[in-house]
Amino acid sequence: MRRRPGIGGLQTAAAARDQYRLLGENVAKLRTDLMKEQLATFRSQLEEFARKHKNDIRKNPAFRSQFHEMCAKVGVDPLASNKGFWAELLGIGDFYYELGVQIVEICLSTRPLNGGLIDLQELCKLLRQKRKHDREAVSEDDCLRAISKLKTLGSGFEVISAGKKKLVRSVPTELKKDHNEILELAQAQGYVTVDEVERRLSWTHGRAIDALDTLLDEGLAMIDDGHSDGKRRYWFPCVSSISSFGADS
Amino acid sequence: MQKLGDFKLPHFFNYPPYFTLQPVRETREKQVQLWKDLILDYCRTQKIFVLGLEEEFPLFSNPVIERTLSHEAREAFLSALVSEGRAEWLDKGHRKCRILWHRIQDWADSILKFVKDNGFEDSVMTVEEIRSGIESRGTELHGIDRTILIRALKILEQKGKLAIFKGTSADDEGVKFSV
Repeated sequence: MRRRPGIGGLQTAAAARDQYRLLGENVAKLRTDLMKEQLATFRSQLEEFARKHKNDIRKNPAFRSQFHEMCAKVGVDPLASNKGFWAELLGIGDFYYELGVQIVEICLSTRPLNGGLIDLQELCKLLRQKRKHDREAVSEDDCLRAISKLKTLGSGFEVISAGKKKLVRSVPTELKKDHNEILELAQAQGYVTVDEVERRLSWTHGRAIDALDTLLDEGLAMIDDGHSDGKRRYWFPCVSSISSFGADS
Repeated sequence: MQKLGDFKLPHFFNYPPYFTLQPVRETREKQVQLWKDLILDYCRTQKIFVLGLEEEFPLFSNPVIERTLSHEAREAFLSALVSEGRAEWLDKGHRKCRILWHRIQDWADSILKFVKDNGFEDSVMTVEEIRSGIESRGTELHGIDRTILIRALKILEQKGKLAIFKGTSADDEGVKFSV
């Protein structure tokens, strides 16, 4: 548009800016509409996919895990509600609910032995044993999802990392960083000595004893004074496999 | 799973800390419970009636993990059994312990069953015959500790199911049933 001097020119410029703005908004709206449409198409395709592969999703943990990822990308959470399309179609809500209940049962029954902290792999193993007769296989990914659902229910369940292992905590015990480090250290042999803690973590004697005593009090550690070298060992059931305590020299 | 002869040992038996008396109360309670059950189970299947704390008893040590229960630990577990009425100290020094893997009342019931199964309702037998006679073979009564047997018989005597009397030989008693 040709620029004209004077007030008239200014008014024209303002009108032009308004029009550009409107156009811009329209374009943005078009883009959004287009995206919404694409998303809706994708969602319905996902539903179609889920319908077709219902059995695979139910029976195959790896497939199921990838399905979850796909859903997440599209902003669909099959577990968001126990009602509704997804839950009804796949019965997936029930599956994870059931897993959650079984996980709680296992954690409660092993609590006296491990103080409320259990290795994720160990948990999955016990879960599979419990579900021996069920047709649906269970993966670690499934366990983690079920536990995260439990978490949103505010049941005090949490997955923590200690070194290479993932531990499932089912008691309100707060694990401080010091405790976590000891758990990590303990994974090598299932136990630690005070010396080892001092040496490997560069702690004072007091700090080591403090942390170990707390872990002992919380029921997460057990003492062993039976070794021929006379050194007290602190064992951690949560980093061992409860179902088969190994021998140690 | 580790075995002692035919007996399947529980998993905790292979975990070293269980051979040390735990200081934390809750952990100790769990530990004591596990050991109590193991001792009763083992004694029942092996028909062991008396334990000597200073003797070589297979459950007191696990050579595979190189751990042995201290005397204090042995006494703690057995005392727990005594408190529950499942064991008795034979001496003040707590060196020997009689294990009641069956309570005396259970033994009394066993005797009654034995009597009925063999048609001894009106019979006379010696105490020794009850615990080692042909009819006792294959039953729980076979090889039962004599003291326990007499105690069970006395309970039944009080209920009028039998009468105990001194036999012809100096050290054996007889029983007349009236079941």
